Amino acid sequence: MSSFATLTLRTNDLAPGGKSQLRETTQDGTRALEAFLIDVERKAFRIAQLALSHEADALDVVQDAMLQLSTRYATRPAEEWKPLFYRILQNRIRDVQRRRTVRNRVIALMPWRQSDEESEPDPIALAVDGGPTPPVQLEGDEIMQALEQALKELPGRQREAFLLRNFEGLNVAETAAAMKCSQGSVKTHYFRALQSLRAKLGEFRS
Amino acid sequence: MTGEQTGGQMREGSDFERRTRAVLLDSAERLPGSVRSRLTQARHAALAARASGEWSSSRARRWVPAGALASVIVALFVALTPHGATTPARVAQASASLEDIDMLNDADGISLNGDQDVDFDFYEWAADEASNGSASMGS
Repeated sequence: MSSFATLTLRTNDLAPGGKSQLRETTQDGTRALEAFLIDVERKAFRIAQLALSHEADALDVVQDAMLQLSTRYATRPAEEWKPLFYRILQNRIRDVQRRRTVRNRVIALMPWRQSDEESEPDPIALAVDGGPTPPVQLEGDEIMQALEQALKELPGRQREAFLLRNFEGLNVAETAAAMKCSQGSVKTHYFRALQSLRAKLGEFRS
Repeated sequence: MTGEQTGGQMREGSDFERRTRAVLLDSAERLPGSVRSRLTQARHAALAARASGEWSSSRARRWVPAGALASVIVALFVALTPHGATTPARVAQASASLEDIDMLNDADGISLNGDQDVDFDFYEWAADEASNGSASMGS
């Protein structure tokens, strides 16, 4: 059978249900994307929160990353979504950090603004958390606080590598793709992060 | 360093990694309701943006052949319309324009700059002569 005849045959096979099949494919894609976003959104928020120490900013960058992935990269294979999503997230985090640096420099030039900023209490820090009961939670909270503090004190790239590898569970290649660096660099960053955390959280191991 | 020690350190490291992961996952699970709600909204917004993007791109894809056909028709129309044809009216119009230019350039032509070049003394003299002549003829 000639190639043209084969093509015609295939086209005829597809033609009757073509639209419905396309719609189903689109719906499947949307469902897959939704499942992916549900899977990553909380972890992504925690990663952003640890990097930015600000809830609203963390939510904004996660929202941005979701939007970017959905509108620009959703047609890419699903296996690529995670590294892509975290690369977008890290870029957004860096954007916020840069903006903050500039803002802080400007504020440093205006001493009267500094006193205003410092006098305002952080409403998020003051918010009451409706979590589990205190006696059960106390130990977990203390550990979390210590870990959070240790993670915040890490250099950005080490924290990034540690969270993507350990928390999100990306492999070395995916982490390298997300961080836009070599796999060797990922291993180095991760190893150093682990060493620093062990040194700071020695008692945490017992 | 013995193999056991190395193995012990690795196992210890793995435990440490497992525990940190457990703590972090637990913190992600215990996010406040307000944050979870905002994340859900963000997810829905992202999926809606994707859906609207797909709709507009599919519409664009549908209109591409129509747009291309319209462009071809317009191009053909422009190409086949006799813009360069020399009709009698066009020739007359073109020659009239050339004549105007010749007149403007002609130094011997009529004065187009108002009364600057008019010799009023001559006209006064001629008028006086005419009136004197008529007076002498009458007397």
